Amino acid sequence: MKVFGPSELLEDVLDKDLCIGCGACINLCPYFRSYRGKTAILFPCTLPEGRCWAYCPKVHVDLNELSKRFFGRAYDENPLGFHRSIRISKAGGHIANASFQAGGTVSALMSFALSKGYVNAAVLTDRDGLLPIPRIAVSPKDVLACSSSKYTAAPTLSALNQAIRGGYDHIGIVATPCQTLAIAKMRSNPMGDKDFFDPIDLVVGLFCTWAVDFRAFESFISERIDMDKITKIDIPPPPAEIMEVYIGTGKIEIPLDEIRKLVPKGCNYCMDMTAEFSDISVGVLEGRPDMNTIIIRTERGEKIVDKAQKEGFLILDDIPRENLEHLVWAAGNKKKNAFIKAKQEGLLTPREKGAR
Amino acid sequence: MPHLIESGEGAQYLLMGNEAIARGALEAGVKVVTGYPGTPSSDIVERLAKVAIKMNLYVEWSTNEKVAMEVAAAGSLSGVRSMCVMKQNGVNVASDFLLHLAGSGTRAGMVLVPCDDPGALSSANEGESRYFARLFEIPLLEPGDFQEAKDMTRWAFELSESIRNPVTLRSVTRMSHASGNVTFGDIPSEDVHAEFQCNGFMLDPMQGPALSMPVIYRHTEQQKKIKKAREIFENCPFNTYRGPDKPELLIITSSACSLYSREAIRILGVENTVGLLKLGTTWPLPPKLVKRYLSKTDKILIVEEVLPFLEESVKILAAESAYEIGIKRFYGKNDGIIPSVGELNPDLVAEALAQILAIDYQPVSDEYAEKAQRLATLQVPPRELTFCPGCPHRASFWSIHNALQLDGRKGFVCGDIGCYSLAMLPCGFNTLKTLHSMGSGAGLASGFGKLGSFGFTQPVLAVCGDSTFFHAAIPALINAVHHKSNFTLVVLDNGGTAMTGFQPHPGLEINALGEEVPSVDIAEVCKAMGAKVEIRDPFDLEGTRETLNQLIEDKHGLKVLILRQICALSPEKRAGKQYEMTIDEQLCLGDRCGCNRWCTRIFRCPGLVWDQQKRVTRIDDVICTGCGICADICPEGAIKRQEVA
Repeated sequence: MKVFGPSELLEDVLDKDLCIGCGACINLCPYFRSYRGKTAILFPCTLPEGRCWAYCPKVHVDLNELSKRFFGRAYDENPLGFHRSIRISKAGGHIANASFQAGGTVSALMSFALSKGYVNAAVLTDRDGLLPIPRIAVSPKDVLACSSSKYTAAPTLSALNQAIRGGYDHIGIVATPCQTLAIAKMRSNPMGDKDFFDPIDLVVGLFCTWAVDFRAFESFISERIDMDKITKIDIPPPPAEIMEVYIGTGKIEIPLDEIRKLVPKGCNYCMDMTAEFSDISVGVLEGRPDMNTIIIRTERGEKIVDKAQKEGFLILDDIPRENLEHLVWAAGNKKKNAFIKAKQEGLLTPREKGAR
Repeated sequence: MPHLIESGEGAQYLLMGNEAIARGALEAGVKVVTGYPGTPSSDIVERLAKVAIKMNLYVEWSTNEKVAMEVAAAGSLSGVRSMCVMKQNGVNVASDFLLHLAGSGTRAGMVLVPCDDPGALSSANEGESRYFARLFEIPLLEPGDFQEAKDMTRWAFELSESIRNPVTLRSVTRMSHASGNVTFGDIPSEDVHAEFQCNGFMLDPMQGPALSMPVIYRHTEQQKKIKKAREIFENCPFNTYRGPDKPELLIITSSACSLYSREAIRILGVENTVGLLKLGTTWPLPPKLVKRYLSKTDKILIVEEVLPFLEESVKILAAESAYEIGIKRFYGKNDGIIPSVGELNPDLVAEALAQILAIDYQPVSDEYAEKAQRLATLQVPPRELTFCPGCPHRASFWSIHNALQLDGRKGFVCGDIGCYSLAMLPCGFNTLKTLHSMGSGAGLASGFGKLGSFGFTQPVLAVCGDSTFFHAAIPALINAVHHKSNFTLVVLDNGGTAMTGFQPHPGLEINALGEEVPSVDIAEVCKAMGAKVEIRDPFDLEGTRETLNQLIEDKHGLKVLILRQICALSPEKRAGKQYEMTIDEQLCLGDRCGCNRWCTRIFRCPGLVWDQQKRVTRIDDVICTGCGICADICPEGAIKRQEVA
């Protein structure tokens, strides 16, 4: 696939306000920087081809090419993406108690992968107040410090680029669907680098319908709540339609319709709910706040889940039929809506020439 | 400049116009000399400061031009001769006081020396100080060569005393900064005694209080003085004529333009047909003298730079005496034969003369012009205006630019006058978006910072230098605090009035004479106003950037960030490099993805050079000042710094 450069990235993504600040272009070069949830370009770069464009999940992506590379088959119409199995899960007794979201499956998997040496670094997202902070965790203890959902779009991949620069060669990462797409692009060696080496050994994807823009969210929340007192934020599964903000012992409920106004524009065109280019994807399970839905996609993902179960890090069970049906419906719905919107706005045509 | 005082009458020296003016003031027995630095005027005060202690002069670099003129006027009112020096737009700053001083009158001789800058070679304007003479009714003298620069300065003090009003002696860049032979006169040695006599009769010009009131009385007195000056000018030796008795064309000119005109007449060989009336007293014009020369011919060309000041004065006289001397044909600014902007030169004057006299003249042949153009395009490397290697401003604007880009709300910087004006160009990352007079960045920012109620959301920054802070920024800051205007002022404190040559300012512990004096602390002044104040070293790029982001996110009132780092050209810095810089060519990514010449294409310190062959950066050891900050911007750590022992 033709790779373009930063000028095209600026024209196609940043200028159209489609950037969701995933961090894929950060820490590759000095031009792109992430600040308070937003990606900024400090100065124009003139290169006709660059990793910034090649890695960006919001420029044109050939899903067939990526699917063939990672799953050995063309991209198909399954709303949940290619997978080997779908189960439900929660953290096992080997995991210390932490402030998990739902069943704690993600923290359990990453702790397991780190403690057993499947990975030597885990790229995660911590937070400072409401600000998401990408982290490189090297011990299970670091993983637990990053547990619980963030809901704000985070430049997590900036820490992935940093970990790669820092020489980590077995990296695990927890990523949203847009980020897993960027990771798949990175791993496909789009620049055709002769010395290319794939340092990523585990991609745990997170289900996502949308995230909120940090700056908009912060200004929204700060007008209503003393930010220093927030302990946890949760969006319970449908049909609750609320965001819960926990403050000390109490909590405040905000209607989701108000929160949706804070979603970055780029999320509206996202066709992926379940992080289709991961090894393992994890999300909530409707009606069971103690459990997660887990989608196992790759052979290595399957292997880690099996071992984690055997060693008491993870408890698995079968997914109820109605949950699966609803998941397929929800994922298909996101795809359909995004596709219609992208088509309406002419975003489905690949770029042919360089920037103006 | 020991020869300025050690050589006596009859000695001859090659002097810059500014040195000639300084010597003229010494020969006039000047005692109080004040000014504010500004090219092309600064050398006059600097030269006199150097001899001040020996000659028992009081010389100061004042906080601004208005204060300078007030300090000088105190000398005159106390019976000692005084001189006040500034660049053209300085007169604008001083003008309010000057208007009133012209009303109250002066006592001992007081001379105002503005040095104009036609063509704006070192200015952000090509303002005209000549018009203040007409506007405020003050005599205007303009030396036409270097000997005159000295002699007219001396004479200006006598004129001031004979009419008891300030006199303006106006120079221009090519008079102030060019050099010529000057024969010295004597320097008086008599003692003076300063006393302000103010208890006499209210209307007594020498014993009473110094007031511009009662206005109508004082104004009438002032106009009588101008009438007297006009009579003196009729026989003034600085108004000269050379040329035939009945010229075909008369040139009327003054100042450096008289040199251009002389040369143009010679180039065209029209000495026998063109007359040259060089006026040293250009306001008020001596009417009889001008009328005498106007009546010699029918065609008159006025040669002067920028606006048609002299042309208008001459035309008024011609109109008034048309019934006696007949109708004249005028050439000059109004018909466009002489440009109304920029500097003149002998070629421009020669072209105008040739056009009027229908002489076939081309300063250079077409072939030569084309060849010169071709060679210049091909062989002269493009050299844009830039900050010096090691300049703290480059570091400051790097951080300001990056903070604004990260912030992402289309913030901008209001600038003013200093080396940092260059931040409108790529060397300052095009960060500066307004540029007007000194201190006006802060004033504009104070206004932008109040537009929130009309939907204005852009972060507003202003910059000013340390000297500018004292000169004109303080009232704007007080305005901002009082009106709760929301902006961030960055004081680029490089430890002196650097652009004009490190003249001291109130923030320093030294004065123009080199004496130890109390300093005024910028941070304390801002804190006392009620601003939030931070101080950083601009060479700490990331720390400065972070502080800037915090300050521009703070939406409450005036924030001040003082960035302290001495100018790279300061005597202290020039003593040696702090770091020896090298490039690790293995690590340098050059123009590849991941860098794309970040240091040589974006940061662009002249000490960093792109090696076309090796495709890596190289350090130019000759001009690198060893500030070391490029090591902090290199994404690969390829620029290495080692502390010089």
